[in-house]
Amino acid sequence: MTTAVRENVYLPKRAVIDRVNDEIAGVKTFEWHFEDPAEQAAFGRFKPGQFAQVSVFGAGEFPLSLPASPTEGRMLFTVRQVGTCSAALHQLGAGDRFAVRGPYGNGFPMEEYRGKNLVFAAGGIGLIPLRACIVWALAHRQDFGRILVFHGARTPKDLMYLPLLDGWQHSGQLECYLTVDRATAGWNGNVGVVGSLLTKPEVKLPVENSVAFVCGPPVMFRFAIRDLLSLGFQGKDIVSTLERYMKCGVGKCGHCCIGMAYVCTDGPVFTYEQIAQLGESI
Amino acid sequence: MKARVLDGVDVLRVVDVLRSQGYQVVAPFAEEGGDGAFSTVTDENRDAIALHLPNPLYPPKRFALPPIEPLLEIRGHGAETTFRPIVEAPRVAVFGIRSCDVAGIGHLDRFYLEGAYRDLYYATRREALFLVNVVCTLPGVDVGEACFCPCTDTGPAAREGFDLQLMDLGGGEWLALAGSQKGEALFQEPFFRRGTPEHLARRRALLDDLRTRFKTFTSWFAAAISRISRGEVSEGTWEEIGRRCLECGGCTYVCPACTCFTVSDRPAGPDRTERVRIWDSCALSGFTRMAGGHNPRKAVHDRRNRRFYRKLSHHFIQRERSVACVGCGRCAEICHGDVGMPTVVELLRRGPTGPSPAANGGKA
Repeated sequence: MTTAVRENVYLPKRAVIDRVNDEIAGVKTFEWHFEDPAEQAAFGRFKPGQFAQVSVFGAGEFPLSLPASPTEGRMLFTVRQVGTCSAALHQLGAGDRFAVRGPYGNGFPMEEYRGKNLVFAAGGIGLIPLRACIVWALAHRQDFGRILVFHGARTPKDLMYLPLLDGWQHSGQLECYLTVDRATAGWNGNVGVVGSLLTKPEVKLPVENSVAFVCGPPVMFRFAIRDLLSLGFQGKDIVSTLERYMKCGVGKCGHCCIGMAYVCTDGPVFTYEQIAQLGESI
Repeated sequence: MKARVLDGVDVLRVVDVLRSQGYQVVAPFAEEGGDGAFSTVTDENRDAIALHLPNPLYPPKRFALPPIEPLLEIRGHGAETTFRPIVEAPRVAVFGIRSCDVAGIGHLDRFYLEGAYRDLYYATRREALFLVNVVCTLPGVDVGEACFCPCTDTGPAAREGFDLQLMDLGGGEWLALAGSQKGEALFQEPFFRRGTPEHLARRRALLDDLRTRFKTFTSWFAAAISRISRGEVSEGTWEEIGRRCLECGGCTYVCPACTCFTVSDRPAGPDRTERVRIWDSCALSGFTRMAGGHNPRKAVHDRRNRRFYRKLSHHFIQRERSVACVGCGRCAEICHGDVGMPTVVELLRRGPTGPSPAANGGKA
């Protein structure tokens, strides 16, 4: 794929916020659409794991993963307020304008995973990009074996997309296991890191013919990978989506480069086997 | 490639012709203190254009990729916000660009125009740019202490990438080569005349002699490239390079082949915001720092490793079909810690092999 000669890849397209939901403290989900239906249709063919460059005018432009699955027919961003751009986005409400360009990156090769068990290990807001894969897999439920979601957060109040996870759990479409680092009053579930869930006797984690999706903060990522490898997962069967400071999304600004890979164009999805061969520590 | 001969007294008439064609012509001038700089040619300063001087420290790369370049104009607030791209194509002719800097723009061309995405801003500016290459011929004047273009195969005479090439053959005669149709069109001017085989022989002899006059010879690119591509450079070598780096970013700002930029929205008057891109530097600690504070490349030596891996690894050389170094020697001149390209190539070649950061890949 090469862009057309006169196409301006840095030009964002106008978009409108339809609805804002509070997820957990400091994290909001925005449902939005492009003003131009043609843009909406073109962008709507994105793949789980791809990302967008989001403009909040005056504040700047920043990369955001796409938590909706293309099978949902709607656009979402789930954003934690951490910097200038995310703070500016958090100020916006229904009807407010912003702008989006993309989708960018390789995305998860979900078609290649047909027939396999899917194991999702998400720490905190690491569940945001994996949400797209889970919803996509449920929309193609017959194509996959067991679907297991392991989600951990600091406290019960920090668990992401709880109503959604509850709904899926109760409908029997997937198996969901939750854990927290620190229990608070009323929490009867597991206390410990995400990896501690994998070896629970009731889980019977499938290792053969499985793909493990890992996403979360650096410490969680490191330990979850170690746990999966010790359980017998191969590096090629562990996939993740990497996060980097990013200014262009199209392989030019140079910020997201890790070793030989541009996270924006070669990733953001990499297998652990690939990550180990990038030529630079992540 | 067509060649012509012209008299030394007529060389600046090339500038006059380009100006009469509507080009903004920039050319090197000797500034106070002996430093050279590219400035716009006017009626007043035209005769002060310096044909022989040390290559200005600030490269003419900026005429293809400005240090600060507007991308979008944003007006209004809230639902009334409008924005439009600002794509500029000033007709600029760089007169007196050296062969190393021509190669630098060639590298930028392959980086910005090829691959999955084409950069419209760069493409537009580049199409309108006219390059008059002046070949370095005077050792100690044109060719500086730190120059090493024969080692990167980018000089002293560029083989491609220019519209017109001018070379001082001595004895009041200059040789002109056309590198494009636009350049060849200039040969219609009456001050160009046909050359003889003798002129070309003088060119060859001058270049053969000049290649032996370079002070800096870092002939070990091959060894450095091999070691860095195989991940054989020890962590200790990077730490040594990192200890010498003062994190000023100077090497990246004077480099004709560096491409990185950041993007920022900044106020540009009441009710007007500009989105601009600004040269950025992998030497600076904020280069990889994310919102929230996590910085995957915090250590100075990891950032130095990044610069030289990006410039010298086989993977990127294949991708851009060139080493991202053009042998201009500016980084060696500007670096207070003496970790410019020639020194680093030498350190990489001689340093002990050992466990490299690449071997720890993924174990953050």
